[in-house]
Amino acid sequence: MSNYDNAELLALWLEEKLTASQRDSFEQRCVEDSQFAQQVEAASMFKMQAQEYQSTDVPNWNKEKIFDYGVTSSVWSWLPGVSFVTSVLAIVLVLTGTQVNITDGELRIRFGAQQSEQVVVKMLDSRLEEFRQTQQAALSLYAQTLQQQQLDSASQLTNYLLTSSRQERREDFAELIKFVNQQRSDDQLFYARQLNQLQQDIYRDADGVAVESVQQ
Amino acid sequence: MFEKSDEQLIKKAQKGHKKSWMSLLKRYEKPIYHYGLRMTGNNEDALDLLQEVFISVFRNLSSYRGEGSFKGWLFRIAHYRCIEFYRRKRPTQGLDDAPEIPSDAAPAEQHIEHTQRNAQLISAMQQLPLAQKSVVELKFFGHFTFEEIAQQTGMSVNTAKSRLYGALVKLKTLMEVDYVEL
Repeated sequence: MSNYDNAELLALWLEEKLTASQRDSFEQRCVEDSQFAQQVEAASMFKMQAQEYQSTDVPNWNKEKIFDYGVTSSVWSWLPGVSFVTSVLAIVLVLTGTQVNITDGELRIRFGAQQSEQVVVKMLDSRLEEFRQTQQAALSLYAQTLQQQQLDSASQLTNYLLTSSRQERREDFAELIKFVNQQRSDDQLFYARQLNQLQQDIYRDADGVAVESVQQ
Repeated sequence: MFEKSDEQLIKKAQKGHKKSWMSLLKRYEKPIYHYGLRMTGNNEDALDLLQEVFISVFRNLSSYRGEGSFKGWLFRIAHYRCIEFYRRKRPTQGLDDAPEIPSDAAPAEQHIEHTQRNAQLISAMQQLPLAQKSVVELKFFGHFTFEEIAQQTGMSVNTAKSRLYGALVKLKTLMEVDYVEL
């Protein structure tokens, strides 16, 4: 069995392009494969019928309409041309630097971009200067604001430090006074006890002398 | 009698020469009409298709560069017009779908006096899906090669061959051919 498939062989046969080996395969396939043989027969019959097909005349139809339709649609065919020309004109006007001025009913057309270039340079310079000034003002304002903010922060910090140290000192003094008072209270108590002791000693000594004198 | 070639007529028609356009149209109206008749199976549809094809050809004539034959270019336009025609008429039907038998469309043989064989052939072709019908039409009636068919229909050469083979299986049954054993 050859490698050609049925559709390929039939197609080659229909186009009469079978090589010798393909023809052998084709004929062998026709003998061995009845279904393929029937396909070939059907193709042959259909080909014959197609050849015998009688082409009748075309019924009347409006052929002129197509050309007229085309002509009508070509009424606008000038549009791309005009569009192209106007585009070219616009480019030329831009490249040559053409300027049209109407002042007091007077129309002036000026070619060449030199004049306008100077105007543009001048305008650009003034804009740049304006921009520089604006930027400088903004920068100085920013610096001023920043400085003020720093001063405020420093002042706040100083106040805080002073207040907090004052408080601490006050608390320290209170502690000291309390301690001194405590010491004084202790001293007073100590002296009182000393005096009591002394008083008792004196009274005892006095009683002893009295007794001795009595005994004597 | 001396007859102008397609290319000569096209060049003149491109310049707006009406007579050349009409000559070109008359040269190809019959093949395109019968192409439409076999593809649609209906005289009215064939005439509509004929008109659509030639309007499209006229519109695109300026873009024709003479690459390949005019006939091939013409039938490629006809093929795509035909597909559009089918899509318009039966939007849900695919190119490979078997056609439904149209009930409202009167068959061509009722309008035109065809021979019995013409009628049988047209009727059988209407039973084929559009994709197969196109290949059969272009092969047997347009006498195009498979390469040309592939170019015109946008399918591969092998697909064109297998579609023709598949179509013949159906046509064999439809046309009730008495086969003879080889």
